[in-house]
Amino acid sequence: MKYDVCIIGSGAGAGPVIYELAQAGFNVLVLEKGPWFKTEHFTKDDMVATRRAIYTPAFKDEFHVLETKDADGNWKAVPTHESRTDFWNGSAVGGSSNFMSAYFHRLKPNDFRLLSEYGNIQDGNMVDWPITYNDLEPYYTKVEHVVGVSGAVVPHKHLEPRSTPDYPFPPLVTNRISDWFTAAGAKKGYNVIPAARGIISLPKGDRNACYLSNYCGSFGCSSDGKSSSRAALINDALKTGNVEIRPDSKVFHLETNEKNEIIKAWYYDLAGLKNSVEATLFVVAAQAVETSRLLLMSKNPSSPNGLANNAGNVGKNLIFSAVATGSGFIHFDDFPAEKIAEINNPMTFVNRTLVDFYEIDDSQSGKKIKGGIIDFLIEHSNPMPKAVKNKKDGDRLVYGSEFKTKLHTYFTTRKKVRFEAFTDWIPNDNCYVTLDPEQKDKWGDPVARIRLGYHESNKIPGEFLAGISKEILTEMGARDVSGAVSTGPTVNLQAGGCRFGNDPKTTVLTKDCRAHEVPNLYVTDGSFMPTGGSVPYTFTIYANAFRVAEKIIDQLKSKL
Amino acid sequence: MAQFSDNIDNLEHWQTNRRQVIKAAILTGTLSQLSFLQACTANQLTEEGNDLLDANQVGILKSVMEILFPNDGNGPGIDDLHAFEYIMWVLHDTGSYEKYRNLAIEGITWADEQTQKNQQKNYLELSQAEREQAVAHFNETDYGTEWLSIILTYILEALLLDPIYGGNPDGIGWKWLNHTPGYPQATEELRYENILKTVRAAYPKTES
Ligand SMILES: Cc1cc2nc3c(=O)[nH]c(=O)nc-3n(C[C@H](O)[C@H](O)[C@H](O)COP(=O)(O)OP(=O)(O)OC[C@H]3O[C@@H](n4cnc5c(N)ncnc54)[C@H](O)[C@@H]3O)c2cc1C
Repeated sequence: MKYDVCIIGSGAGAGPVIYELAQAGFNVLVLEKGPWFKTEHFTKDDMVATRRAIYTPAFKDEFHVLETKDADGNWKAVPTHESRTDFWNGSAVGGSSNFMSAYFHRLKPNDFRLLSEYGNIQDGNMVDWPITYNDLEPYYTKVEHVVGVSGAVVPHKHLEPRSTPDYPFPPLVTNRISDWFTAAGAKKGYNVIPAARGIISLPKGDRNACYLSNYCGSFGCSSDGKSSSRAALINDALKTGNVEIRPDSKVFHLETNEKNEIIKAWYYDLAGLKNSVEATLFVVAAQAVETSRLLLMSKNPSSPNGLANNAGNVGKNLIFSAVATGSGFIHFDDFPAEKIAEINNPMTFVNRTLVDFYEIDDSQSGKKIKGGIIDFLIEHSNPMPKAVKNKKDGDRLVYGSEFKTKLHTYFTTRKKVRFEAFTDWIPNDNCYVTLDPEQKDKWGDPVARIRLGYHESNKIPGEFLAGISKEILTEMGARDVSGAVSTGPTVNLQAGGCRFGNDPKTTVLTKDCRAHEVPNLYVTDGSFMPTGGSVPYTFTIYANAFRVAEKIIDQLKSKL
Repeated sequence: MAQFSDNIDNLEHWQTNRRQVIKAAILTGTLSQLSFLQACTANQLTEEGNDLLDANQVGILKSVMEILFPNDGNGPGIDDLHAFEYIMWVLHDTGSYEKYRNLAIEGITWADEQTQKNQQKNYLELSQAEREQAVAHFNETDYGTEWLSIILTYILEALLLDPIYGGNPDGIGWKWLNHTPGYPQATEELRYENILKTVRAAYPKTES
C-alpha cells in the first residue's frame, strides 16, 4: 500500500500535520520510534519518569556524542553513556510533548527580524526569517483553540498583536505564592503577569481539564489536560480512520529515486527487522538533532552527503535556548503563620512571567539589544531530585545525622522559589550536528555527534535578567538568593539544523518548510528555525506545523 | 521464568539453588523485584551473603548504610525503610546504571582494604566509633566519596520512591518529609519492569 503521507516522529512538530491531513481525508502513516503509552499508562512514579530509561532510550541502546570545550579551549568529544548527560527528551507516541511543562509564549514580531532589528553579532549567524509574525499569528490562535492554551492576556509593552482578545481557556489555579511574585515585582516597578500554559483548565472533547496533580514536567498527564501532541491532536486524528500509527518503528533511511524524490522510508521494527513503506510525501519531525541525523544518514546516489544536503547545510546552526536560572528560599519562620498557610501546600503552579525586558538597553554598547523573558516557579513536587541535591554541600558529601537534619529541614521548613530566564541562543558555526565517525547505536547506525558551541554574547541579556529576577526574589523575602547564566544547552529545547529561507545555497528548507532539494520532503519540527526567540519553542513548533500542514495539503491536492 | 516463583514452595531445593537461580534469572532478564524479594529475606542475606555479596561484604554494606543514614530518632532508619533489601534488588536490576552498580559492590572491597591498610583490621573487626572514623576517612577521597554517594542515593530511593519498589513501607519516608505523593500512584502492571509489556499488550491490532 502506498500512503499519501508518511510522518516520521509524532511529537509537537508532527501532531498538527497528522491532525490536519487526517481531517482533510488523506491517509497518513506515522512511524514513531518509541512505544505508544495511552493516558491510563501514566502514573506519578518517579522510578518510571526520572530514575530509569522508560520514556527515553537507554544509554546502552542509543546515545549521543557531545563535543564541548575543555579547559585548554580544545573540543573534546564524549559519549553520553560516559558523561551521563542524557540528551533524550521523550521517545513515545506524542514525543516529548507528553512530558513537557508547557510554558507557552508566542514569539514577538522582532524575533522574525533579528538581523534587521539588532544587526549581526560577531561570530554569530543572525538572519531574518522568510516569514513574519503576521504570517504565523493565525496559527498561534489555532494552537490556542485546537491544541488548548490557558492564560489571561494583560496589556504590557511587549504584548504581541493578537487576532483574538484572550486565551480560550481561563488561567489554571495557582499556588497563592503567585501573588507574592506579582507584588514583589510591582514594588520594584516590574510588571509580573500571568503566564500561559499549554494545559487546559476546562474539559475539551474527550479530554478532561488539568486536575492539578502537581506532577507535570517530566510526567505524563493522566487527565489529558496537558496539550501533548498525543492527547490534543493524535487521538482526534485517529477518529477519522485515516491514520495508522506504528510505534516502536525507528526510521533509519529515506530512499530516493533519480529525481531525488523520496520513494521509501526504511525502519527497524521492535524485533529489529528492516521494513519499508511507500508514500507520496514524507514529513520528518524527529526533534531537531535526530531530524538532522536521519537526513545525514540518508545517503543516496542523488544525495551522497545525506538527504537535502547537497549544499552542505543540514545539521548547521543548531540552537538551544540560552538561559539563566536561580532560586531562593522562603523560610516559614520568617513570615506570619497565616501568610505561610497560604503557600505551604502541595500546589506547584505559579504561572507568572515578566516580559518587560524583551528588549533592553545595553549599557556597554549603548545600543538596544534583544532581551528575553523570565518565568517564575516553585520547585517541582517529585521528591527524588530535591533529596539528591541535598547530599552535597559544595563538593563535600553530607551524611549521617547531619544529612537527615538537612533533608528534613529542607522539606519541612521552607519553599524554594525559582526563576528561569530565556534569551536567544545566538546561532554560530560551532553549534551543529554531524554523524559520529565511530560510535554506533544498537542497530549499528552512527549516532549524532553534537558540537555545543555557546556564544559568549548570550551572557549579556542572561546576566541582566538574572539580576532583575534576583531583585524580585529578594523583595519577596527569600533568603539565599542566587542565580547565574548557564552556558550549557537546554537539552529539552532544541531547534535549528535545517534552516528555512529563500536561498537554497544557505538554507535547507523553503519558507514552506519543504526541502529545497527534495520535492516531496517536509520538515515540521523546530529544525526550521534560523533563530529561536527568547522563549521556549513548543508553541511556535505547533503553530508552524499547522501552517505547513496547509502547504502539504495543497501539494497533495495538486497531485491528485 | 515463571517456575522461579513456583519453586519457592520447595524451600530446601530453593535454598541450595538460590544463587544459581538468581543468576540465571538475571542473565535471562526475568528477575522481577517480587521474585527477588521472595527469594531472599533480609535475614538470610545477612547471614549467608548472596550471589553478589559474601557475608563479609553484606556486613560492611549494612554497617556503612547505617552510618550514612543512622537510626538516630530523627525519622526512619535503614531497617524501617527496608533499605538493605531495596539495595540488593537494585544491585541485581539490569535496568539500573551498570557503572554505579559495579562501583557500589567494588567499593565494599575497597573499604575493607582501606581499613586493613590503615588500621590493620578488617572493617568488621572495628568498633562502632572506629567504623564511623573509617567512613569519614573514605569520604576524604574522591573514590570513597563517589562510592558513599551512590549508596546514599540508593538509600534515598528506598526513602522516597513508591512503596511498590520495596522501600518506603506505608509511605513512611513521605510522611517524615511531609511529602504528598502524586496521583495516580504506581501499580504492579505499570511498575517500571512491567510497564512496557503492559503498554505493548494494549496496542490496537493492525495488519502491518
Ligand atoms: C521535561 C520537559 C519539559 C519541557 N517543558 C517545556 C515547556 O515548558 N515549554 C515548551 O515550549 N517546551 C517544553 N519542552 C519541550 C517540548 O517537549 C519540545 O519542544 C517539543 O516536544 C518538540 O517537538 P518535536 O516534534 O520537535 O519533538 P518531540 O516532541 O520530542 O517528538 C519527536 C519524536 O520523534 C521520534 N523519533 C526520533 N527519531 C526517530 C526516528 N528515527 N524514527 C521514528 N521516530 C523518531 C521520537 O521518539 C519522538 O517521539 C519540555 C520538554 C521536556 C522533556
